[in-house]
Amino acid sequence: MKKLILLLLLTPFAWAAAYDRGELAELNDLYKNDRFEEALEGYSRITAQEPANPWGWYNAGNALFRLNRTGPAVFYYAKAFRLNPRHPDIRFNLEYALRQTGQTLLPEGLPRTLHYIYYFLSDIEITAAAIFLFWLACLAGAAGFLLDGAPAGAAAVRTAVILGALCLGSLAWLGARQNSPFAGAGVITKAGGARLLSGPGDNFKACASAPEGLLVKVLDSIDDDYYEIGLTKEGVKGWALKKEVEKI
Amino acid sequence: MTRLKFALALALAVLPQRAAALTISAQTDRSTVEINGNIYLTVQVSGDSASVPEPKFPNMQNFNSYSSGRSQNISFINGKISTSVTFTYILSPRFLGLQKIPSITVFDGKEKAVTPEIEITVTRAAQAARQAAPRQAEPAAGQVLGEAEIFLKAETDKKTAYPGEQINLSIKFYTSVPLTSNPQYMQPVFKNLIPEDLPPVRAGETTLNGQRYAFSEIKTALFALTPGTAEIKPASVLVQVPANETLDPFDPNFFQKFMSMSNAQGRSREFASEALTLEIKPLPPGAPAGFSGAVGSYSVAAAADRLDAKAGEAINFSITVAGHGNLKTVTAPRLPELQDFKVFDTMSSLDIKKDGDAIGGKKTFTYILVPRAPGKKTVPPVNFVFFEPRTGRYRELQTAPLTISVQKGDQEINNVYFNAPGSAPKVTASDIRYVSEKARAGFLADCAAGITALPLWLHVLPAALTLAAFWLARLNRFKLANPMLFRFKRAKSLASEAIENTQALLKAGKTEDAVSVLYDSFMAYLSDKCGVKVSALTIKKASELIKVRFPGASPRAMEEIRELWTALERRHFSPSAAGPEGVTDLATKYSLLIELLEKELRGGRP
Repeated sequence: MKKLILLLLLTPFAWAAAYDRGELAELNDLYKNDRFEEALEGYSRITAQEPANPWGWYNAGNALFRLNRTGPAVFYYAKAFRLNPRHPDIRFNLEYALRQTGQTLLPEGLPRTLHYIYYFLSDIEITAAAIFLFWLACLAGAAGFLLDGAPAGAAAVRTAVILGALCLGSLAWLGARQNSPFAGAGVITKAGGARLLSGPGDNFKACASAPEGLLVKVLDSIDDDYYEIGLTKEGVKGWALKKEVEKI
Repeated sequence: MTRLKFALALALAVLPQRAAALTISAQTDRSTVEINGNIYLTVQVSGDSASVPEPKFPNMQNFNSYSSGRSQNISFINGKISTSVTFTYILSPRFLGLQKIPSITVFDGKEKAVTPEIEITVTRAAQAARQAAPRQAEPAAGQVLGEAEIFLKAETDKKTAYPGEQINLSIKFYTSVPLTSNPQYMQPVFKNLIPEDLPPVRAGETTLNGQRYAFSEIKTALFALTPGTAEIKPASVLVQVPANETLDPFDPNFFQKFMSMSNAQGRSREFASEALTLEIKPLPPGAPAGFSGAVGSYSVAAAADRLDAKAGEAINFSITVAGHGNLKTVTAPRLPELQDFKVFDTMSSLDIKKDGDAIGGKKTFTYILVPRAPGKKTVPPVNFVFFEPRTGRYRELQTAPLTISVQKGDQEINNVYFNAPGSAPKVTASDIRYVSEKARAGFLADCAAGITALPLWLHVLPAALTLAAFWLARLNRFKLANPMLFRFKRAKSLASEAIENTQALLKAGKTEDAVSVLYDSFMAYLSDKCGVKVSALTIKKASELIKVRFPGASPRAMEEIRELWTALERRHFSPSAAGPEGVTDLATKYSLLIELLEKELRGGRP
């Protein structure tokens, strides 16, 4: 049974290293030699092949930052951060890029440790933890029922209750993360910033402007060409062209 | 020299809370210039990084512009780097009157800065004005142009050179006839050569084969890249000759005058120079160690911004390479091993001069040296190796050693690039972190991806398993709590099994065993239905009990029970009377009776 579970867990990882270290080393050499455009092309290829790998996004963000494209760099760092929020390099570069655009990663007044705990696991890791705890809770519960009346059965039931509570805790954590600045968010990637219109079309008046690299909330994405976006801090919302905003 | 214009940079597209880091200013050496003169335009770009971008020149129709050099200055103040680069251009006016130098922009990817326009008054040349008057009276209309009247000539000062050695290219435009419009000059294409402008445009008169020509000369310095062949493709000039000639080609200002004729009409003609080929010789073998490709004639000197310092304090140590050659390609000399110093950043500044058509100037490499310990510390000589084309030999120069008196360090002094001994490291965080070498997302992320990639239906399994276990547990508890109910329900199936066993035993010839099985099964059946052990009762008592438990039981059923019971007892306790045929009949009868009782005994529950 253990082998089966292990097999089930590991089978999907077959694609996990679609590119090898040699290719990565070549791309990093390009980056080292200031050939950022070429390096970016390679890193983008990696992100297309492995969208769940944070390092492709991180390296691409670095190349974009070197090319003075701060907006896209923030977007790429944010993608990497959502996949691996606890790595110090990813946190640092995202924070650095956000500072360049007048933003901060750490909300004002929030202790850094709390913020670190809040972002200790990625969304996908919390989801996986909830699933794993659900399995364990179910198995422990089943054992408890099957051993009904025996002391081991009572212990199994207690374990199941604890695991179930942890599972619910994970779900609550995941729910809380839906309110993070990166959930349902986008980044203004257009050089020089984007115009916010009062409706989804050029015939509407501009009501605000958002600078390049700004994190925004994507409120509506039904329209073919426009996102409805909200600037949380300023309490402003409007419509921006989809090509000017990248959804994280 | 009078400074007439000065413009401070206007920073655009910067965040409100940030001060503009990128600035640009432009100024000219004068505001009035004769049409045959030149003005110097100096553009200064400053920024807070080690390098600043080059300014972007707009398309200038009213001036010819030539790069005349650049100089760079880097300073470190309180840990901040600031760079200022001065670009110098020579502008030759093309039209008379009030002319404007358009705005010059600089953009570093984040910030943009522009200069305001600069107005320049272009006047006639004083000498030219005197000479032009009589010549304007000479008609030249209807003159037939030939190859001899207008031509373009390109020549170099040498036909062979070493890579990196300066070659001067001269392109002269001769005309002996008047022109009515601005000739458009198209620079040649260079192969295996790097060009560098040698301003300004020279203009004058000359006599060739007994004919007077006005000429304009554009000079360019060239530096070959690799040994082999270098090519200068033809340069060309597009001119227009008017139907009615109004300008004198021998007017010293003719070149500017026809440029100023905006409404001139005439035939367009293009003239090209011949292509030139140069032989680039390889550098001689035996280059000393440390040769990094510098070619020219140089001197080298070392200097420090101070000779007294405290341990842990930064000293700016600079090596200046000066002389003639392509300084842009000169790389920083390698410092010898410095045991007594920590060596930090290297910066370079470049100051290019083009005096006398020779490219030269100086390039300064600045190192930050930090003495490790107090005492007399010496920076040993630094070697600089270059190839000198004039002598055809490599030369190795050394700087003079520098002795620095280092005092004991002051803990209070913090340097921006390091910390005083004993103090905690200070993170300046002035840049993003380097790219990652990791190819995998990581074990935890991989596991998470694997788990979330599992099909949704699979997660129903544990829930189903739990529910099944729950149901089983409930069932067990119910069984324990209601044993008779389960016996009541199972009575028929047990009886059917017993009948099958009886048939099997009869086939095997074990009649007595078959009767015993049948008898026991019947007793068990009645006991399960009544909830009382019936075998311990008499037939009469048992019948009464059944009647009480199942009031709906018919007299026929009761009679059948009594008959079967009696027959089975007789066979069971008198085995000699048990023949195979009679037992088979009893089994059949038992089977039918059970079917009947299953219908009759439904009314009650034990």
